[in-house]
Amino acid sequence: MSTPIRRRAIVAVGAMLAIAAAWFAFAASQSTSTATGASLKPALTGAGENLYNGKKGGTLTVYDSEDFLHLDPGESYFVLDYEVMFATQMPLFEYKPNNSTTLSPMLASGPAVISNGGKTVTVHIKPNVHFSPPVNRAVTTADVAYAIERGANPNVANPYFAPYFGDIVGAAKATGGPISGIVTPNSTTIIFHLTAPTADLLVNALSLPLSMPVPKSYAAPLDAKKPTQYGTSQEVFTGPYMLKSDATGKFLGIGYNPGKNAILVRNPNWNPSTDWQPAYLNQININIGGSSEVIGQQVLKGSDSVQNDTPTNTNVELAYTSYYNQLVAVPGSGDHYVALNNAHGILKNVNVRRALYAALDRAEMVKVAGGTIVGQVATHFITPGAAGYAQSGGDAGPKVPWNEHPSGDLALAQSYMKAAGYPSGKYTGSQVIKLVGSNNGNGPEQSAILKNAFTALGFNVHVANVDQSAMYGKYCGVVAAEIDACPEVGWQRDFADPQSILYVPFYGPAIVPTNNSNWGQVNDPAINAAMVKAADTVGSAASAAAWAKVDDMLVQQAVAIPWIFDTQPNIESANVRGINALWNVGSWDYAFTSLK
Amino acid sequence: MSTHVTVVDAEGTLGIVTDGGGEIAARSPGALFWRRFRQDRVAVASLIVIVLIVIVAIAAPLVVKILGLPGPYAQNPNLLNAFGEPSGPTSAHPFGVDGLGEDIAARVIYGARVSLEVGVIGTGIATVIGVVVGLLAGFYRGWVDTVLSRFTDLVLCFPTLLFGISLASACAVNGCLGGVIQPGLPVIIAVVVIFGWTYIARIVRGLVLSLREKEFVEASRSLGASNARIMFREILPNLIAPVIVYASLLIPINILFEAALSYLGVGVQPPTASWGQMIALATPIFSVAWWYMVFPGAALLVTVLAFNLLGDGLQDALNPKGD
Repeated sequence: MSTPIRRRAIVAVGAMLAIAAAWFAFAASQSTSTATGASLKPALTGAGENLYNGKKGGTLTVYDSEDFLHLDPGESYFVLDYEVMFATQMPLFEYKPNNSTTLSPMLASGPAVISNGGKTVTVHIKPNVHFSPPVNRAVTTADVAYAIERGANPNVANPYFAPYFGDIVGAAKATGGPISGIVTPNSTTIIFHLTAPTADLLVNALSLPLSMPVPKSYAAPLDAKKPTQYGTSQEVFTGPYMLKSDATGKFLGIGYNPGKNAILVRNPNWNPSTDWQPAYLNQININIGGSSEVIGQQVLKGSDSVQNDTPTNTNVELAYTSYYNQLVAVPGSGDHYVALNNAHGILKNVNVRRALYAALDRAEMVKVAGGTIVGQVATHFITPGAAGYAQSGGDAGPKVPWNEHPSGDLALAQSYMKAAGYPSGKYTGSQVIKLVGSNNGNGPEQSAILKNAFTALGFNVHVANVDQSAMYGKYCGVVAAEIDACPEVGWQRDFADPQSILYVPFYGPAIVPTNNSNWGQVNDPAINAAMVKAADTVGSAASAAAWAKVDDMLVQQAVAIPWIFDTQPNIESANVRGINALWNVGSWDYAFTSLK
Repeated sequence: MSTHVTVVDAEGTLGIVTDGGGEIAARSPGALFWRRFRQDRVAVASLIVIVLIVIVAIAAPLVVKILGLPGPYAQNPNLLNAFGEPSGPTSAHPFGVDGLGEDIAARVIYGARVSLEVGVIGTGIATVIGVVVGLLAGFYRGWVDTVLSRFTDLVLCFPTLLFGISLASACAVNGCLGGVIQPGLPVIIAVVVIFGWTYIARIVRGLVLSLREKEFVEASRSLGASNARIMFREILPNLIAPVIVYASLLIPINILFEAALSYLGVGVQPPTASWGQMIALATPIFSVAWWYMVFPGAALLVTVLAFNLLGDGLQDALNPKGD
């Protein structure tokens, strides 16, 4: 006969079994229809967007979980910085938001004139562009010359100075003072003399923030400090907007509170007749910090706002399914790849790199990153839409066996391991692969996919996922750290020239001990020579072909594993008529965006 | 008025016969403990749950196979939707899948291994160290006590979680001390050991200070027993009950410590399954993949609760005066 305790025990066990059975029944009833890779109808891309006819006035709120890195045009390179830079300053040339290939004169009064066999560039500027208070005076070409010269000042240390302005006569030894190859015969003319026929590259580079004028009399004392305080605490502006400042030009604590917010107001000295930007908005309030997940929902469900940084996969899905017109996915803005250490350890062996390339499930990496809305499987390094893309194989990429299996081919991979000297097709050495990934977003998942590929080839792998800034700043970008693989380093072209995609990340002599953007320390003499040759190639078609050849060589040598051609999703509120700068990862162009 | 007669039966069991003829059997301490423990149904249920978890952890590959689940590291992008979001519970994946298409049920099962390794191994080593330190300090007193107690105080001053985070972060990529300290489970266990022994040591020291003055210790000493024999043969057995109770309460604390470190991204690294790490990865997508957080969270909750309730039950059973 059962005791009361036993009866209760039986009841308890029975209840647990019933709950488990009910759960399994519920689980079994769930449809698996969502778990498919079915193709989606394309999201809006921003192509053909109408730049004008917006409504004047209003305040736009910009939500940004990340802070800016630099607000000085001499230091700026981060995509988020660019949004403020191009709304507040005038470079010599600029891409219109709906055009990512053709430069339009901005501060310049017309196209650049190339002469002397591509060794001289002459630019004239508009005479009636003025600096914001307290400088107030008209911009001259001396201000443009100083802006570029200060890029070589160690206190400014512009990362683009050497690769894109290094061919200016005297630039190689410049440290911030006058450069002999930059001549300003009058206040509206500036002439660049080059050591090589690389005028095309320089003209493209004159669209970078480094060409935004800086008044020497105002900035020089600030540039004497290390690092420069120009753009850190005070600055003067030439664009339609400016950071809210006091009478001295100081904005720190007024128009910019690091980690909290930035406020852009109209520049009182801006003259609409000198600018093709309509500048509809009266003010832009940028809120910094917070959860990207929460921000995205605020923007989608709220009003008068946009999200500045990349929305989460969840919010992209929410936008696509419920707020379709508030999502713009801009293709062809950059790529991400696995950086492999070409200079240290087992990955110096080209066949081991090819084996890893063949084994990696790149399609899975794209899927995990967010699927077709955020990109397509990359097959080389020059991005879609850039010159040289078609010549280096287009979507299919260079035709080499290790590039033809986006989902990975282990048997093929093992054949390269055998070629590398491992008869079993698996690594039998003692090196433990150091893999450093990001712990932001889906970084841990990307690390796990890469680890899978290594493990399948017999490697022991130590994975460390760190904050993205540490991934670049402390590990992948530091030569001495000797990191073997970084799964998701990304590169965004600087302007519409394939050189700006391939040169910095893969040119051997450009390797620097820290803050190195050649993450794989690629220093192949044949590739270096091909780059030098391509850089000196005159004519856009010939140049594109030359850079396509470099691209092909990079894939041939499997110096890195490209896995996604990025498409950048951007989200806005329903009453925002957002304009995306297609040349700048499709980020919001404040000088064109308006409220409905 | 009743009378009692003491008798010894054929098996030597001591008993008392009352004038009513009923016999009251004497019981060993173990029998008394078990009698009291099994009356605590909550504690017994907790013990059963813990035994089940231990069995599942040890036999994880077999359990996963029996349940027809894929392995914990089997990635399947086909189980992600078009936006890369994981799919929910189905018959093939009763707990759903994670952001890599890995089966969450399998990972929860394997995650039990990490939690128990930290909880049991870490606590076990910390307990041994704490008992030894407490014994030495309480028994010898004087300068030995001063040195050991102050050292214990010093270790207690360290913010354990911050230390764990710092150590794991600093050694995340290249290791520390020439690669001797490598991040991962061993480091977490080491941190648990380095900081976990102090609580046991303090308790043991206090108990030993009292026990060393008892008559049985005096008797042993008068018979010429060495200090080591007195400590480990006379005093130590009297410490077992409180040490067991305290160690059982330390296990869930250490399991939570591991989960916290893994949640913060400085504990066990993917693809090794850990409940804390799974909860961390689930946090950003909770609104679309609740299952990713709920099941590892439930496993953590049940395990910690079971150990806590077991500890309470042991305390009640081993130390009835405490009621």
